[in-house]
Amino acid sequence: MRGWRLERRIDQPLASRILVPVLAIVAGLLFGAVVLAIGGHSVTEAYEAMWESSFGTGPGLEQTLIRATPLLLTGLAVGVALRMNIWNIGAEGQMAMGAIGATFVAFHLSGLSALPLLVLMFLGGAIAAGIWALVAAIPRALIGLNEIITTLFLNYIALLFLSALINGPWKDPSVVGFAYSKPLPAQSELPFIGDTKVTIGVFIALAAAAVIWWLLDRTRAGFSLQIAGGNVRAAQYLKIGIARRILFVLLISGALAGIAGVIQLGTASGRLQDGLTANYGYIGILVAFLARTRIPLTVVVALLYAALLTGGTALQSTGIPSSIAQIVQAAIIIFVLAGQVLGSYRLVRPLRGSAQPPPSEPAVAGGAR
Amino acid sequence: MNFWVDALSTGVVLGTPLAFAALGELIAERAGVINLGVEGMMLVGAVVGFAVGIHTGSIFLAMCAGALAGSALALVHAAMTIGLRVNQIVMGLTLTVLGTGLSSYIGADYGNEPFKHHLSAIDVPLLSKIPWLGEILFQQDILVYVAIVTVLVAGLIINRTRQGLSLRGVGEAPAAADAAGIPVFAVRYVAVWLGGLLAGLGGAYLSVVYTRSWSNELTAGRGWIAIALVIFASWRPLLVLPGALLFGFIEALNFQLQAKNVSIPSQYLSMMPYVFTLVVLAIVWTRQRSRNWGMPQALGTPYEREGRS
Repeated sequence: MRGWRLERRIDQPLASRILVPVLAIVAGLLFGAVVLAIGGHSVTEAYEAMWESSFGTGPGLEQTLIRATPLLLTGLAVGVALRMNIWNIGAEGQMAMGAIGATFVAFHLSGLSALPLLVLMFLGGAIAAGIWALVAAIPRALIGLNEIITTLFLNYIALLFLSALINGPWKDPSVVGFAYSKPLPAQSELPFIGDTKVTIGVFIALAAAAVIWWLLDRTRAGFSLQIAGGNVRAAQYLKIGIARRILFVLLISGALAGIAGVIQLGTASGRLQDGLTANYGYIGILVAFLARTRIPLTVVVALLYAALLTGGTALQSTGIPSSIAQIVQAAIIIFVLAGQVLGSYRLVRPLRGSAQPPPSEPAVAGGAR
Repeated sequence: MNFWVDALSTGVVLGTPLAFAALGELIAERAGVINLGVEGMMLVGAVVGFAVGIHTGSIFLAMCAGALAGSALALVHAAMTIGLRVNQIVMGLTLTVLGTGLSSYIGADYGNEPFKHHLSAIDVPLLSKIPWLGEILFQQDILVYVAIVTVLVAGLIINRTRQGLSLRGVGEAPAAADAAGIPVFAVRYVAVWLGGLLAGLGGAYLSVVYTRSWSNELTAGRGWIAIALVIFASWRPLLVLPGALLFGFIEALNFQLQAKNVSIPSQYLSMMPYVFTLVVLAIVWTRQRSRNWGMPQALGTPYEREGRS
């Protein structure tokens, strides 16, 4: 086997781009099966339950859509910034700020009827979260302060702030033992679609995806973000203002995560509470990266990830540890990541008769390939 | 006065797992690899340590097992980010998902079993007699002392030895380190592995010594605090100790205030180190950019030799 070597591909063929994730999902499920078997659990029972509770039945599909909604929004939020090579680790905290902003609106304008109240709640949530993202964006734009550090730190602060509100001024004194806010006005609940449990939040998320897709992939402004993030020199030559774009992109990113927070508030509980963000902000980073910030792919990945989340919670009633769903999630991602790297190489065969590739090919054979 | 001595002494105990985990993360980051999977590694260390403790009755073996389990998980991160050059942030987050899942899976049978053995406090001769300070620092269990000594030794190694210079070189300028004959990949592997070892040890301390029981997601975000602590300590190992004490003290103070039914919103107290760090970061960055704050220049960037085949 001497002389075989790995060579980086210039472009990955479409077949391998599709094959890699499919194989990764299969491998991840197989890994989960091995873990289940080691623990003495029935593999078929576990996967059957996960399938039926996520895609296989109507109510299951509803649960998947409910979880896919905030995930799509946080995936978009992270993806928008990632187009410019900005890492927004702070979607979790921005979600919390979105929920806080919406709660503030709901408490102070509780006299309004449903439609104007909901519109103002979304606006309030998006603005609060957008401003929260600007707290990281401004020092990044002005003095180059690393946004990974600041957005991460702002998560802790935002989640603690939420906790302080529901333990302090917004606390419902009638609930003992748990920290909940007072209930939000009834008309602030998001309307359901037909007689399903899915709210109109899913349409809002899809609309956001469409707008972001248009903005990023169909406008000059969207393309300029990619240049500004990829090649600073080119951006300077083209007179693309980088600082301004950092502010813009994180404002949009925060607002999207904030909308996810508002939807969680209007879907889950009708009260502001701890755990509302449910790690969707962090998972959104995984979603955006796995989708390579492509918007249509983000929709697909969010849906698949939501199915795994839903499948996990359904296992709780079967006696099989629901943690297997997290193990499968992680295994699939690891296989996808590894596959993406390995798929970008190809094995180059040595030339016949020589164990090593010749030092330099004669021009006749070289040039035109 | 008793109130403060109690809070500080509990703070030292609560700061111990943070010190272990943060030191581990610091070593990995000084080599240029950020690992956001600390929470996952701590959880796996906690559950494996606890299980081994239950079966063997030995706290020593439990600690070793927890550390090894954490380091095993770290090797996944190392292989993916150093070997395959996968994005470190994404891989670290995935590691947290994996560790959370694995620990809950392994721990499913251990939820109702308390660990009966107790790590008794050791009074350091003379020092433990110092008023207040003695009670806070020198009447603790052995692992508290181990944590302090480990941090001091690590600080010495990182700042004063050739090995430490290699570590710093790999994190600051890997290409130059490579040219100087330092095995960049090997150093990074070892650093990430050590990071997992210490995170696992911190996790095992929580389950085996502190709570002496297992429940899902026992670490409750301490892995994330450890990551913040590295930044708070501005990547300087010796600053991990006061940092861990501060974060541990705030947690202890929250417990004490709750027990006394003092209605100060404790969240604002918990927020302070984060706000403080951000403000200081912004000031330092305005003046000198990242260099003097101590962030390794190659942090987060995979090293790739040109023409590697």
